[in-house]
Amino acid sequence: MKSIKQSLWAVLAMSVLAGACKKDEQNVTPTDDNEAITTATLQLVNKANASEVVTATIENLNTSADFSKATLTLKANTTYSGTIQLVNKTKTPTIDVSAEIKSEQNEHLLVYTPSVATLLTVTITDKDTNPSPGPYPVGLTFDLKTNAVATGKLNVRLRHQPGAKNGTQTPGTDDLNTDFSVVIQ
Amino acid sequence: MILISHSVRAQQPGCGATLKGILTSGVEQLPLPGATVFIRETGHGTVTDSLGQYQLTYLCPGRYTVEYRYVSFTTFVQRIQLPADSVRNVTLTSESISLNPVNVTEHRSEAQQLLQNQVSLSGSALDQTRGQSLGESLKALAGMYSIQTGPSISKPVIHGLYSNRIIVLNNGVRQEDQQWGTEHAPQVDQFLASRLTVIKGAASIRFGSDAIGGVILIEPRAMPSEPGIQGEVNVVGATNGRMGVTSGLLEGAFGRKLAGLSWRIQGTIKRSGYVQTPHYFLENTSYHENNVSGDIHYEHKSLGVELFYSRVDTKVGLFTGAQVGSLADLYTAIGRPEPLSQPEFSYDLQRPYQDVQHELLKLRTYWHSQGGGTLTATVARQQNTRREYDFVSFSGSLNPELYLQLITHTADLVWEHRTIKTARNGNWSGSAGFNGITQGNVRQYLFLIPNFRNYGAGVFAIERYAIGPWTLEGGIRYDYRWLRAYFLDEATKQPYNTTHVWQNVNGSLGAAYQIRDDLTLTANLSTAWRAPNVADLYSNGLHQSAVAYERGNPNLKPEQAYNGNLVLAYAGKRLSGEIGAYNNLIHNYIYLKPDSVPLIRQRGAFPAYSYTQVRATFRGIDASLTYKLSNRLTITTKNSLLFARNQTDNDYLVFIPPNRSDNSLRYDWNTTNQTRLSNLYVSVSGLYVAQQRRVPEVMARQENGQLIFTGDFAPPPPAYFLVGAEFGFTTQVGKQTMNVILTGSNLMNVAYRDYLNRFRYFADEPGRNISLKVKLPFSISQRS
Repeated sequence: MKSIKQSLWAVLAMSVLAGACKKDEQNVTPTDDNEAITTATLQLVNKANASEVVTATIENLNTSADFSKATLTLKANTTYSGTIQLVNKTKTPTIDVSAEIKSEQNEHLLVYTPSVATLLTVTITDKDTNPSPGPYPVGLTFDLKTNAVATGKLNVRLRHQPGAKNGTQTPGTDDLNTDFSVVIQ
Repeated sequence: MILISHSVRAQQPGCGATLKGILTSGVEQLPLPGATVFIRETGHGTVTDSLGQYQLTYLCPGRYTVEYRYVSFTTFVQRIQLPADSVRNVTLTSESISLNPVNVTEHRSEAQQLLQNQVSLSGSALDQTRGQSLGESLKALAGMYSIQTGPSISKPVIHGLYSNRIIVLNNGVRQEDQQWGTEHAPQVDQFLASRLTVIKGAASIRFGSDAIGGVILIEPRAMPSEPGIQGEVNVVGATNGRMGVTSGLLEGAFGRKLAGLSWRIQGTIKRSGYVQTPHYFLENTSYHENNVSGDIHYEHKSLGVELFYSRVDTKVGLFTGAQVGSLADLYTAIGRPEPLSQPEFSYDLQRPYQDVQHELLKLRTYWHSQGGGTLTATVARQQNTRREYDFVSFSGSLNPELYLQLITHTADLVWEHRTIKTARNGNWSGSAGFNGITQGNVRQYLFLIPNFRNYGAGVFAIERYAIGPWTLEGGIRYDYRWLRAYFLDEATKQPYNTTHVWQNVNGSLGAAYQIRDDLTLTANLSTAWRAPNVADLYSNGLHQSAVAYERGNPNLKPEQAYNGNLVLAYAGKRLSGEIGAYNNLIHNYIYLKPDSVPLIRQRGAFPAYSYTQVRATFRGIDASLTYKLSNRLTITTKNSLLFARNQTDNDYLVFIPPNRSDNSLRYDWNTTNQTRLSNLYVSVSGLYVAQQRRVPEVMARQENGQLIFTGDFAPPPPAYFLVGAEFGFTTQVGKQTMNVILTGSNLMNVAYRDYLNRFRYFADEPGRNISLKVKLPFSISQRS
């Protein structure tokens, strides 16, 4: 009987003390976001003059976004061919989110919406590989056609539509939803 | 005479038979107060009062084995037949006269030592809830509700309070499983419990700080004392979610040289697939649970040692339709009458899900001394590991978004002194003790709460005096809490920490007066406090599943509660029940207040919330009444009314349970003379839950082209009425008795939504569900 009791005590003492002395909580690990997008860049090339390149960038999207370089200054009644680059700078090395979206294109859609319909028109030029009734647009590359002189905003949304992509923005959830300023002169 | 009120409190939907009597000691024929009376078949139990009297009510007609136990007296076991043997006066012989080894009483519910407003589920009423989560099971009691996150996560709510304001005592150990989170369900195995007791109202004195709302005690069945091996198999199957649960238990006790040594092993497996609402399946609402536990108990003379281990492992799928990336998604989802994706049934469990393991290792020793009372020491270690996996869109990451590991060590020492008789035939009883706790928390991946270390210590004393129709109780407690949180400065990568210290003294006063044999009035006044927890203080992050950015407030003061309640209990021949009124005033009540400016992150706008303190009141009435229309037909009504208010802003509070009324009609066959079938009954029930109209005004406004709501995202759902039915019996399978219960819930397949379900914006509640519960106790050998 004694030995049973003694072994019970021993088991307890070991198991309780094993955890009690560690100070794991004092080693703080940095915040790690699997799916951060820190930087979004739009690059537009004038189709009539390839040397005319306009870029706009939003930094720190995952915290307090910096919009100081987020204005697209465009010419009226001009067509640009555009691309979007999305980057996660919280990881080392930085992650090219656009490339990850390209490889997961069958469940992603970028949606470009001007604040006023008459401001400009965006036409997506790339397609995914979804089977019929697909393929559907992806939106990593697009044509942007400006109208008359005006100012406004261009809203960019990245929709995640796993198993539900149908060419519209309705299904799924937002991975990115931000605004670039647009000045057409 | 308090006992009568206890047994009334332990009321449950049952039958009308009563067992009562007086326990006396053999030689002197003196009453034995504090002895336990326990029915083996049903798990019903009670404690004798100061005059040695006991009463067990709501028993069904049938044959029972009753155990009468008292420290240092020989346990007396008797077969009885109800309702014929409704009065049993028993004389126990002193251990010193008999030759048998000492059998120490462990049946007594810890809560029954307290003069506090309490209800419990045990025996057949507990069997009816088998297979459900703790939160859902306790809804069978008046004054209880549950706060849900979809169909698979349910947390108990006592009088409108939940999470950190409730203590769950699992097997005598304070459960610490990141309970601050609304979507963090208690990690306990229901099949281990033979009794679930809820103490309604502030009960900090005995069980520690934080219990502003109340305490839930999950108590296992007593360890076997007679040599042999026995067990029990529980099987539950349900149509909705095509759920299956199997739980097995094997236990035994040794005789001769190893007398006093007993053991138990137990395990539960639960699987459920997509839950079905009346019109569609809820994608990814699958549920996995695997639990094991083991218990070794040794007692010799007046000394006992118990080593207990349990592991609860759950994997809970979250409804995919409730996953939103931003506020815009949320409003789109709220605007949809039905979820966009409505797949067929599946057992699939994908992201988003929670994966949580909770381990408990406990060592308890106790010593009963003849003159000094009982001393119990408990040390325990709990390890809670929580991983939350969100949807991943593009990264293909296999890591969780949130990892939290909380390791808790607790140490408790309680001394219960021997009952002291006064000259006027009064009785003094009471206890005093110490509770110690330390916790370490480690986080990884996204930041929600920081790493921390805390220490807590408390000392308490409770004394009770019973004389004639009066019982008076007073308690006092002192608590000390120390908390240090560890952070990393993201810019400089330098670690830093902050420290808080709190202390507080609380007290309670209670009185019970037995007006008549069948009528008792009990009043309680108590104070309780809760130090702000680390989530209140330091939350700082996007709560994706709640679509909220939550900001902690390091300057919060402790919550202080003043709780009063009055309970009138009646146990008549036909009518019985109790009506209780309560008033809980909480100073510095901590809640999340919506900020006026939404926060912009990569996924768009999020409403921001900050932890704020106000003066809040929770007032209400619980009423449970049972009326026997005839010997076989019983009508039961359970009603809960709650009025909560933010007094500081003169407004209502969010997420307060609406009023509800649960009514049932039960017919029991008189099966006294039949051997094949017994305890045969059928019942129908109707549950009415009102629309919650006492809510902060839901307002919508435009801001930067975004629609922003204040108060809530959508108004509370309308009232609903659900019909249920149940049929049960006990039958003989060979020498064993098998208990079978067939339950149907939401039989009319009503599409409804519940205000306290955080996923109510997205989908309906589950539709019709038929479940079959079979319990088969067995015995392998009679003699070892």
